[in-house]
Amino acid sequence: MHRFLYSPIGLLATLVGEAASSFSPVLLLFLFAVVATGPTLILSRMIAPRRTPSPVKFLQMESGQVPKGEGRTHFMMQYYSFVLMFVVFDVMSIFLYAWGSSILNLPKTATLPIIAFLAIMFAAFAFALYQAGRKNIW
Amino acid sequence: MSTIAPEFRLSRFIASLTDIIFWVLLIFSLVGLPIVFIVLFYIKLPVINGQLMTPYLAMTWMADPSRSIPIIKSFMHTTIFRVAVFPGFGFAALLAAATIYVERKFLAKIQLRVGPLYCGKIEGILQLMGDGFKLMSKEIIIPAKADKPIFWIGPVLFVGTAGAFVSLIPVAPGWVVANPSVGLLAVFATIGFFPIIAVLSAWSANSKWTFIGGLRALHQMIAFEIPLILSLLGIVILSGTLNLSQIVQSQEHYWWITFMPLSAVVFFITIIAELERIPFDLPEAESEIVAGWLTEFSGMMYGLIQLGTYLKLYAFAGLFTVLFLGGWQGPSIWPPFPQEIITQGITIGPVTAKFPGLPLFDQEMLNGTLWFVIKTVGVILLILLPRGVFPRVRIDMILHTGWYKLIGLAFINIFIALGLLYAGVLGPGGLLH
Repeated sequence: MHRFLYSPIGLLATLVGEAASSFSPVLLLFLFAVVATGPTLILSRMIAPRRTPSPVKFLQMESGQVPKGEGRTHFMMQYYSFVLMFVVFDVMSIFLYAWGSSILNLPKTATLPIIAFLAIMFAAFAFALYQAGRKNIW
Repeated sequence: MSTIAPEFRLSRFIASLTDIIFWVLLIFSLVGLPIVFIVLFYIKLPVINGQLMTPYLAMTWMADPSRSIPIIKSFMHTTIFRVAVFPGFGFAALLAAATIYVERKFLAKIQLRVGPLYCGKIEGILQLMGDGFKLMSKEIIIPAKADKPIFWIGPVLFVGTAGAFVSLIPVAPGWVVANPSVGLLAVFATIGFFPIIAVLSAWSANSKWTFIGGLRALHQMIAFEIPLILSLLGIVILSGTLNLSQIVQSQEHYWWITFMPLSAVVFFITIIAELERIPFDLPEAESEIVAGWLTEFSGMMYGLIQLGTYLKLYAFAGLFTVLFLGGWQGPSIWPPFPQEIITQGITIGPVTAKFPGLPLFDQEMLNGTLWFVIKTVGVILLILLPRGVFPRVRIDMILHTGWYKLIGLAFINIFIALGLLYAGVLGPGGLLH
């Protein structure tokens, strides 16, 4: 492997703007995509035919039936337990990256607390999944 | 078939054309040119080859092709070229368009059909362009009770976010639009926007089908985001960096797929789920919920969503290549340029104008791009393949796969990576390096 990959990365003080400027091309490409493709909507609006305004045409699609009620309704949210678990474990998985990217500079003993952390989190995870499997409480 | 309108008169048509030309010229010369000069007054002009590039000098260079190569070369190293053309939007859109055509022919061959055939004489090669014009000329119908601003902005945001994802993929050594030191985390952040856009546009359309499709998209992307993130942790542990270019450089001798095939399989399945492709295409299951969260999109709005989807497909395939298949690494098969081309330039045409400064790209970059494209196209074909083979699965099966099996496999993979590191196989001072 390469030495530069494993060179100790200290807590070098960098300007906030420097770190942020490395992300600015992402925003630039986002804006470019918007500017390059957005006008096609306007162009399409200009050249496409717009005739016979009848109220039926602007109804929402309901498989040929006359739409009944609102589209935005209260909805029986199924699998709610997974949404709850996501809130916790998504953050956990991002925190693991802070450890994973610096593991080569850490002493080997520093892995043990992380293993304990993983054990606690995944035990909780398994318990939550077990609870989620009991469909009568969700 | 459209016919010429009965009251059509050629003289009036020509008169209206000259009218338009007159007004364009007038407005350009009275408003456009002053604006150009006012802007040029404030812009700091670049120095190329020791000469300050004024507009007159630029036009002189453009008139002489042999002098315009330094301009092109300096333009190629600007950010705007990277954003608009090469590793950015143009390149990705080209690959995305090719993917759409290849997908249609490929699926047709799998299902013993012929696919696009007539448009463009040769195997329907102009079908995509025809579809584009068709979508452009179709009327955009917006449901009466829709939340109009959000409904309009949904497809545009989708394409923009897909473009932001594309910007993080390194194509050749040094050729990447954005190269932040935490590129992998930036990828996760960008992926996280897609379910939000899906739910927003589903909610804004005020239709039951879009609402159900949006909820399905939300559930599915939530279920597959954690395995997606956890399956890549092993690579970060072994390569010790979050920068995508450095991850590619760390695979000079061995691709990560040789050490972590489990992680690659998990990541591949989550790619298919995040792209909402068969067998995980529940959010737009056309036989169940019309078109899911895309039901109310008509005309070019649907076209933009499709463009965004295929940009996203390219970006995910590129990410797989970068992380597991060694990115641009490969044997040097691009022939080296002859020395006289570099020193003296080439002679083109009957006038024999010399072009010094060619070639525009160096051999390393062309070789890297070639390997990257070959691997990425292979991954794209692998992603397209299940669509012709598999049926759709139920939503509880999807959630079960994501939450129980894939997360478990990703969890095991973390320990495989730790084992490789601490057993002294990989890493600093390891057996293989």
